[in-house]
Amino acid sequence: MGGSDGTFVGTFEERRDELSDLAIKTEGLTKHYGEVEALTDLNLEVKMGEVFGFLGPNGAGKTTAIRTMLDLIRPTSGRATVAGLDSHAAAVEIRNHIGYLPSDLSMYNNLTGQDMITYFSNLRGGVDKGFVDALSQRLQADLSKKIGDYSSGNKQKVGLILAFMSKPEVIIMDEPSSGLDPLVQREFQAMMREAAADGRCVFLSSHTLSEVQRVADRVGIIRNGHLVDVEFVDDLRSKAVRRVELQFTGPVEAATFEAVPGVREVEVASHHAVMSFDGSMDALLGAATDRYTLVDITTQESDLEEIFLQYYRADKESPV
Amino acid sequence: MMLANVFTKNIRDRIPAGLLGAVTVGALLFFSMWVYAGVDTSFYYELPAAVLELVGINPEGSGAGGIAFGAIYNLMGALVLGGLAISFGASAIAGEEQEGTFGFLLGNPISRRQVLISKASSMSLVIGVMTLLLWGAGVGSAAVLDVPTDGLFIGSITLALFLNSLFYGLLALAIGSWSGNRGAASGASAGLMIVGYLAATLLPLADLEWLARIFPWYYYSSSSPINNGLDWSDIAVLAGLSIVAFGFAYVGIARRDLKDKGTNVTLLDRLRANPMTSKVMERIAGSTRVSQISVKTFSEYQGLFTITAAIMFYMGVLIPPLYNFIPEDFINIFASFPDALVAMIGGVDMGTPTGFLTGEVFSLVGPIAIIVLATTIGSRALAGEEENHTMDLLMSNPISRSSLILEKVQAMVAWAVLFGVVTFSATWIGVRIGGLDEVGVEGIASISLLLTLFGLVYGGIALLFGAATGKRGVATMVTTGIALVTWFMFSFFPLSETFEPIASLSPFHWYLGSDPLLNGMDWTGAALLAGSFVILVIASIPLFQKRDLRVGKS
Repeated sequence: MGGSDGTFVGTFEERRDELSDLAIKTEGLTKHYGEVEALTDLNLEVKMGEVFGFLGPNGAGKTTAIRTMLDLIRPTSGRATVAGLDSHAAAVEIRNHIGYLPSDLSMYNNLTGQDMITYFSNLRGGVDKGFVDALSQRLQADLSKKIGDYSSGNKQKVGLILAFMSKPEVIIMDEPSSGLDPLVQREFQAMMREAAADGRCVFLSSHTLSEVQRVADRVGIIRNGHLVDVEFVDDLRSKAVRRVELQFTGPVEAATFEAVPGVREVEVASHHAVMSFDGSMDALLGAATDRYTLVDITTQESDLEEIFLQYYRADKESPV
Repeated sequence: MMLANVFTKNIRDRIPAGLLGAVTVGALLFFSMWVYAGVDTSFYYELPAAVLELVGINPEGSGAGGIAFGAIYNLMGALVLGGLAISFGASAIAGEEQEGTFGFLLGNPISRRQVLISKASSMSLVIGVMTLLLWGAGVGSAAVLDVPTDGLFIGSITLALFLNSLFYGLLALAIGSWSGNRGAASGASAGLMIVGYLAATLLPLADLEWLARIFPWYYYSSSSPINNGLDWSDIAVLAGLSIVAFGFAYVGIARRDLKDKGTNVTLLDRLRANPMTSKVMERIAGSTRVSQISVKTFSEYQGLFTITAAIMFYMGVLIPPLYNFIPEDFINIFASFPDALVAMIGGVDMGTPTGFLTGEVFSLVGPIAIIVLATTIGSRALAGEEENHTMDLLMSNPISRSSLILEKVQAMVAWAVLFGVVTFSATWIGVRIGGLDEVGVEGIASISLLLTLFGLVYGGIALLFGAATGKRGVATMVTTGIALVTWFMFSFFPLSETFEPIASLSPFHWYLGSDPLLNGMDWTGAALLAGSFVILVIASIPLFQKRDLRVGKS
C-alpha cells in the first residue's frame, strides 16, 4: 500500500500487483541549473514488460532525467517513482530493484573486469554467479584484464553485465550501445527483449533511432528538456510518409493525383509520376487506373530516421 | 621550437595553484615578521657565532626580518614552492598520458620534444612568477612593518628559491618523461626533496657535512643566501642539476612508447597471474580487496602509506641515535635558547632528548606525512569518485550516502592508526638503538596516538570540503591552507602577547602543546582532536546528502 510519503511497503511482487505494472513514473519532473532549464515538466509512465526508448539529441535532458530518477541529482520540482517507490525517500530500496548503466561509463582502472563484478556483487548481494558467467559468455567479455586496459567496447560489456547481473526489475541504461560491435549489439538486443518478455522493464536512452527501433515497444522523444511525444514504434511506422513512383503507358497529368487525399509534392515527367503519400493506397490506385494504364509501381517507406530528425529540428507542430 | 598554445594553456592550468601557493607563503612571511617585530631580538648578539650560523641568522644583526626569512623561506616556503613545482613537472608529460590527452595532443603536427620544451618553459615562468611574488612579499612586508632589511639579501634568497624549486620541477618532469607515471615522478622527487632537506640540516650537526653534499637541498640552504648573498658555486650546482634534469627529460620523452591511459602492472598483479601464487594472492589482493567499500578504499592507499610511513620509519629510527652525535657545547647552548628562537626551531628544547626528537621528528615531518596521507584519503573519498566518473555507478548499488561516507572513513581511520603504529615502533626502536633512556615508552605511545588523531582532523577537513563541493582540488587546497595557518598559529603566535591566546585553538597545540613525549598522555588534547574529527565526519553527512552528485571535473 502507498504510504503518505509515496513509499510502499511489502514485497516487490505485492507492489507490482498494486501498481498494475508501472515501472517508472514521473510527475512534472523538472530540473533547472540556475538559468539553464535542463528538464522541464517531464510526465512519463513506463510499464513493466516493455522496452522503452528515450530518444533525443545530445544535451536534450536524457541523462538529467535518468540521474534524477536515481536520486543522484535532486529535482527542482516534481517527483519520480521507480518500481513504485519514491525516488528520493526510498532511494536505497529502489537500487535493490534496478540495474544501471551510466553514459560515458567509467570504472576503476586498477581493477579487473572480474574484480569489478565481484565488488558490485558484494555491494548488492544475491547475485547468481552462474548467471554472470552466462552473461559474459553471451557478450564474449574478457574479464581477466584491468579496466584501464580495455577498449571502450570491452568496458561497455562489463557495464552491461553489471546492469543485468542481478536480474533487476527495472534496467536503466544511458547510451548503452556505444562501442559495441554489431554481433554484440544483436546479443544485447536479445537480452533486452528477454528481460521484457520476463515481465521486467528496460529503459534505454539514445540519440539514434536505429539503436532502439528494433527493440523498443515505445519511444519517448525529448528535446530541449521537454518531452515532445510518446509513441508506439509500430504507430510511428504506419504514420510514415511513403514515396510512390508510378509508371504509365502514356503521358499523365499531375492534377489527377493531387486530387487524392494524402498526396503531396507530385512531380510528373511524361509517363512517370513521383509523389509523397500517406493516405489510402486503394484510393490512389483507383485514381491512377481510372484514366490511365498502369505499368509499374514502386513504393518506398521513407526512413523512420527522417521523422525523428523532424522531431529533433522543431517542435511538436512541425513533424510529419 | 616552442608551441605558443601549449605554453599558454599550461600557464593557464598552473597559475591558480602557483598564485595561491605564493600568496600563502607571502602571508606567512608577513605574519611571522609581524610577530617577531614585537619581540625583543637583542638576545641574538649574545649567542655564539656557530649557533647563529646553524639556525640561519646573520651575526651582523639581521633582527626580526632575518629570523622571519629564515623561518619561512628556508623551510616552509621552500617546501611549498618545491612541492608545487613537482606537481607541475609530474603533470606536464606523465599527467597528460594518464589523463589520456597526450596522444590526442600529438595528433597535431607537433613533436614530443616541442611539447616538452613548451611545458618546461611555461613551468619555469610560473615558478618565476611565484618567486617574484615572494620577493615582493619580502620587501613589502619589511616596508609595511618598518622592519630594517640592512644586511639581508632578499633578491639572493628568491633567486636561490627559484633555482631550487625549478630543479625539483624539472626532476619530476624528467622522471615523468621516462616513465609516463605521474605517481612515480612526484613521489620520487618529493622523497628526494624531503630527505635532502633533512640531510642538509641534520647531517652537519653530526659533523657529517661531506655526506650532506650529495643532496641537492644542501646547495640551496647551506650557504644561507639571505644572510650571505649568493654563493655562486652553489648556484652553479643547482643550475647545472636543473639542466641535467631537463636533458634527461629531453632524451627520455622521445625514446619510449607512450601510454594511453593504461594501467601499470604491479607486483601484486604478477603474483596474481602466476599459477604458483595465484590462490594466495587472490585471497590477499583479489576478491578480498573488493569485498566491501571500506576494504577496497583501504587497498587503494597501500602505495601512499608505504611512502609516508617509510619516511616516518626512517626518521623514527635514525633521529634518536643522531642525538648522541650532537656536540656537548651545542646541547648546552640549546638549553639556554630564548623563547623566540625556540619557537623558530619548533617550540621545543633541543638540548634534551625528548625536545630534540619532538623537534626533528614530531613537529614537522610527522605532521606533514600524516596530513598528506589523511588528506589524500579524505579529499578523494567522495570528490575523487565524482571526478573519476565512478560515483554514479557506485551509487546504483543499494547503499546510502551516509553509509558510503562511513565506509570511506573506516579506511581513513585504519590507515591513520597503522601510521601511528609505525611511528611508535620506529621511534621505540630508534630510542633503544640510541640508548636514550630519558625517552619513555609511555611518551612515545602518547605522541604517536596524538599524531594519529591529529592527522585524522585534517583528513576530516578534507572529507568535509569534498562532501560539500565534490571537488578534490578545493578539498586539498583548503585543507593545506588550514594546515599552514594552524601550524603558524601554534609556532609563532605564542611569541606575541596579542596573538598568544589564539594559539591554543590550533590542532597543533592540542597535539604538541603539552609536550607529550616528555609528559605523557594529554587526554584533553586527545579529546579535542578526536571530538573535532567526529564532528567533521558527522557534519559532512548532511552536506553530502543534500547535494547533486557531480560527474567529472569542470
